[in-house]
Amino acid sequence: MGRMKFLCDIERCIDCSGCVVACKEGHHIPVGVNRRRVITINQGKPGEKSISVSCMHCADAPCIAVCPTDAIYQRDDGIVLVSKDTCIGCGYCFMACPFGAPQFPSGQVFGARGAMDKCTFCAGGPEETFSVKEQKLYGQNRIAEGKVPLCAAMCATKALLAGDADEVADVYRERVFKRGSGTNAWGWDKAYKKK
Amino acid sequence: MIFIGSNAAEAHPISMQHILHAKEVNNAPIIVVDPRFTKLAAKASEFVRIRPGSDCAFIMGLINEIIQKGWEDKEFIRTRVAGYPEMAEIATKYTPEEVENITGIPAAQTRKVAKILATNRPTSLTWCMGGTQHSIGSSITRAFCILQLVLGNMGKSGGGTNIFRGHDNVQGATDMCVLSHTLPGYYGLSDGSWKHWCRVWDVDYDYITSRFKEKKWMNAKGFTLSRWYEGVLGEEKIEQYTPIKAMIQWGCGSNSNSQYNRVVQAYNKLDLFVIVDPFPTMAAATCTTDNVYLLPCSSQYETSGSVTSTSRQIQWRHKIVDPIGGCRDDYSIMKDLVERLGFADKFYKNIKETPEDITREINKGTLTIGYNGQTPERIKKHMENWHTFDIETLQAKGGPCDGDYYGMPWPCWTDTHPGTPILYDVSKPVAEGGLPFRNRFGQETTYVMSGREENQLASKGVCNPGSEVKGGYAEFKDVVPGTNWKTDLSQKTIKEAIARGMAPFGNARARCVVWTFPDQVPIHREPLHSPRPDLIEKYPTYEDKPNHFRVFTRYKSEQNPNLVKEFPYVLTTGRMVEHMGGGAETRSNKYLSELQPEMYAEINPVLGNNLGLRDGEMIWIESPEGGKVKVKAFFTERVDDKTIFMPYHFGGTLMGESLAGNYPAGHEPYVMGDAANVCTNYGYDIVTQIQATKDGLCKVSRA
Amino acid sequence: MKKLILPGCILFWAMAGLAIAQSQGQLLTSFGPGPSTAAFHEINGLFTGDWQQYGQLFTSLQANIFSQIFLLVVTVVPLIFFLHYIIIGPMKFSHEGRQIYYFNLLSRCIHWCAAISFALLVITGLLTIFGSLVGGGVLLRSGRTVHLISAVTFSGSALFMLFIWAKDMIIAPYDFLWMLKIGGYLSKENKTVPAGRFNAGQKSWFWLATLGGTVMAVTGYFLYSFQGNTDTLRLSAIIHNFLGAAMVTVFIIHLYMSLFAIKGAIRSMISGYKPEAELKILHPRFKI
Repeated sequence: MGRMKFLCDIERCIDCSGCVVACKEGHHIPVGVNRRRVITINQGKPGEKSISVSCMHCADAPCIAVCPTDAIYQRDDGIVLVSKDTCIGCGYCFMACPFGAPQFPSGQVFGARGAMDKCTFCAGGPEETFSVKEQKLYGQNRIAEGKVPLCAAMCATKALLAGDADEVADVYRERVFKRGSGTNAWGWDKAYKKK
Repeated sequence: MIFIGSNAAEAHPISMQHILHAKEVNNAPIIVVDPRFTKLAAKASEFVRIRPGSDCAFIMGLINEIIQKGWEDKEFIRTRVAGYPEMAEIATKYTPEEVENITGIPAAQTRKVAKILATNRPTSLTWCMGGTQHSIGSSITRAFCILQLVLGNMGKSGGGTNIFRGHDNVQGATDMCVLSHTLPGYYGLSDGSWKHWCRVWDVDYDYITSRFKEKKWMNAKGFTLSRWYEGVLGEEKIEQYTPIKAMIQWGCGSNSNSQYNRVVQAYNKLDLFVIVDPFPTMAAATCTTDNVYLLPCSSQYETSGSVTSTSRQIQWRHKIVDPIGGCRDDYSIMKDLVERLGFADKFYKNIKETPEDITREINKGTLTIGYNGQTPERIKKHMENWHTFDIETLQAKGGPCDGDYYGMPWPCWTDTHPGTPILYDVSKPVAEGGLPFRNRFGQETTYVMSGREENQLASKGVCNPGSEVKGGYAEFKDVVPGTNWKTDLSQKTIKEAIARGMAPFGNARARCVVWTFPDQVPIHREPLHSPRPDLIEKYPTYEDKPNHFRVFTRYKSEQNPNLVKEFPYVLTTGRMVEHMGGGAETRSNKYLSELQPEMYAEINPVLGNNLGLRDGEMIWIESPEGGKVKVKAFFTERVDDKTIFMPYHFGGTLMGESLAGNYPAGHEPYVMGDAANVCTNYGYDIVTQIQATKDGLCKVSRA
Repeated sequence: MKKLILPGCILFWAMAGLAIAQSQGQLLTSFGPGPSTAAFHEINGLFTGDWQQYGQLFTSLQANIFSQIFLLVVTVVPLIFFLHYIIIGPMKFSHEGRQIYYFNLLSRCIHWCAAISFALLVITGLLTIFGSLVGGGVLLRSGRTVHLISAVTFSGSALFMLFIWAKDMIIAPYDFLWMLKIGGYLSKENKTVPAGRFNAGQKSWFWLATLGGTVMAVTGYFLYSFQGNTDTLRLSAIIHNFLGAAMVTVFIIHLYMSLFAIKGAIRSMISGYKPEAELKILHPRFKI
């Protein structure tokens, strides 16, 4: 089995947030919880680039390393998932994650954080596949249905790629090649008179 | 590809897939001409910052530069273009240096863009509201077309002028002419047009005439969406025997109307105001009188019917779910209305099965633009056989739709015609989707400006393959005596033309000179509210126009060179990707509201700091007409230091006061803000009367 | 002639290659050097730059080190005391003689308030640290709630303690002597040690509990509320854990002292009376 990966092609991402809305709508995520977000650098200036970021499903995930209850685990295909029944909402994974992926909807008692919520790669959770509980806690399980994650499926410009790491890399490599040797074909200097 | 007055990355994100594909795979340069460094500009290979409202000068400058350098498509111009020398003569005034003076675009950049266009053919030109919403909008859009004619980019794959429409069925709505100056299918308001449609509807012409107060109103243009409220308020002179008393807004994001504070006054003066919309629009909240009725209607997912896309393709939309929450679909609301008005027997004469029979009626009558081949059965067949269409050519290979172009882009002349994927393409037979330019404006013309006489038909040798006449020819008529190709409901005329390999509408030249317009050749005129008093003198606007769609419209008397002293900044508006139109729908969506929770105005940090403002502070923006909005200042270098940009999707507060209490309880949108259009200035196109929202003036102060 | 063919061929191909490279070069230069990689670099910097400040440190500490430290604290420290008990044994004082009223009711109440809440803090804190052994879930989530309630209770009690005992807790020069003698606990005989109402050991425990407790409360607030930027949170977690380890250590010492090291010491906190004999040896400077 291959390893699942996201890759966002920053030359294609147009900051439309379609991925964000697709994710929220598809999994019925509460407002304020962002499994995915789009980040833009140099906004309004030459060199403006956007990238869609969620959990990167790291090979050596810091969140798994720091979790005191071992609630976070990695599947054989590289997808990092959390068990919401085990999670105690301590927030250590948030502190360990460079991408700000772990999210904490507010819980019920004394404003405590509820169980951690993050991108599941649309692969549900530890619950029985397609069970009502899985749907309720983690949202859809599109991987089990043989589909790519919602965000990548919805991406208007096909900037966000998801799937087997090798295939994703192939798609991206082909694009880069077509753009003309490496990263050269996009021409900021020409457009904005940079040297 | 050149984009001017279009921010496809925000307004048409799906199209970006193809735009970036062209850039990536074909190495197509992307030129973006805009006052703002938009998200589309971020993907551009050449960004041209233009002063709002000066598009025409820039394009005429490009045309001049192309002609001066000899880069024009001489053969195309010789055989298929009319009025070229007259146009070229006027273009010579727009030297790159003069263009720099008017538009602020460096002369060198104009030259460079001209060269890029000349060396990358064909070029696709796209414009949107940024090109049209000016007092000279009709001249600007014509200049775009003329540029493509000069470059010989018309009627070619990868060329043409590709205007991106606002929503998925705007093209369809336009084709049905939900307008005040023409009957469906661009037939106009002449007696012949009325008679044609009466035949289609199977309704007595005299009956229709009897519905009007006097016959002359049948042929008179009505009010437009941009200025209907003048007909209520009575502050301007109107050419109608009565003020407007009732109004139905059906799916109208009303806060996209400029001078919105005056529109609000009109709402409250109406005797009856009906709003049909899935969500309560801002109009519903601004009314303080009890003359308002809200009819909740279903969304597009709760009803079915045909829709026409930007590319003239027609698709069938199937119902996903039954209307929820007590709302009803548009058809049933219309039916109830018609029944109570008492003419259902006439209205529904041909319509038994909704909506298929409506489509059939459109097929029957809309011959001008070839809407007759797209029967409901064929459209549905296309939807069911998506997989058989080629992704590049959009033509079905084998299968039940073999040879058809997807969606049968109009004109689709007969029920076996494949549709016309590219307009005016003479490389293909008419029966296979080719077309010459239409013969619409007579055969001989003498130009006023030069005294030259020119044949308007295409030159010898230019025609579609298989054409019986090898060269230009006039439109078809009297095949069935007393009718022409547009009015022959038996469609024998069209069929005969196709059989002879010819286009029903003739084979003519595309015009550079329009003798019925105030500016026969597009020229630059300063916006009514211009920040450049010197240019007002040099490029003054039109004379005032009485009875412009029934309203007296000020031009020259409105253009005041001293206005800029009090209102020093240019105000332009536009879209953001998260919200749509007036935002009634998107601001009622919690996820979209979360992404864009606040109304703002983009201000360059230099201007903001000079004015002593802070990023994120509340400011007042005031228009010369007294409209003002209270919004958050957002410092960004997207805009230059003379321009202020506001998105127009917000509503729910008016001049700084919240209207949240006026919405039906529990139905107020999640996000409310001042409507930008309260501040957009007076100004309307001289031909179409589209509102000039993109080039007004304003002043800014701390709130 | 043949000799010329090969070099000729090589030359031809080299030229052709050059020409292709050149034309490619022109194509590429016409688009210029693209900064796709530069932009990726910038974006990476955006994420990892912030992370490298304390994120990396926190991750490596939390991954192994914290739990090991706590494991050491809860195993080795009791082991040492166990050995102490076996080898040296507890101090014994006669409880027959005169009883001195040492702790009034208020201070006893506050002490027990603090003691119980602190014990709960230690227990729930340790549970969280070794959460994987317990399996997380409902038990630990309630544990976190208990931790919060205990923290608030303890903070209040500690404030009171500071109020009523601060005067007696001021560090005096003889405290260093006490420290040098380790309070006489390494001797089997009951020798006099220099101490006032509270000895140096109690003083250090007191200051750790109050001042350290304040730091724990502040860092704990950050961790619980998630207010502040990510680096503040990371730093808070690091401090909370290290200081926590120190406090748990001293807590265990205190427990041992009161329960085992001095026979019957705990009675004074219940009844409020201490035997005069004990005071003479352990708190000679206390004026009866």
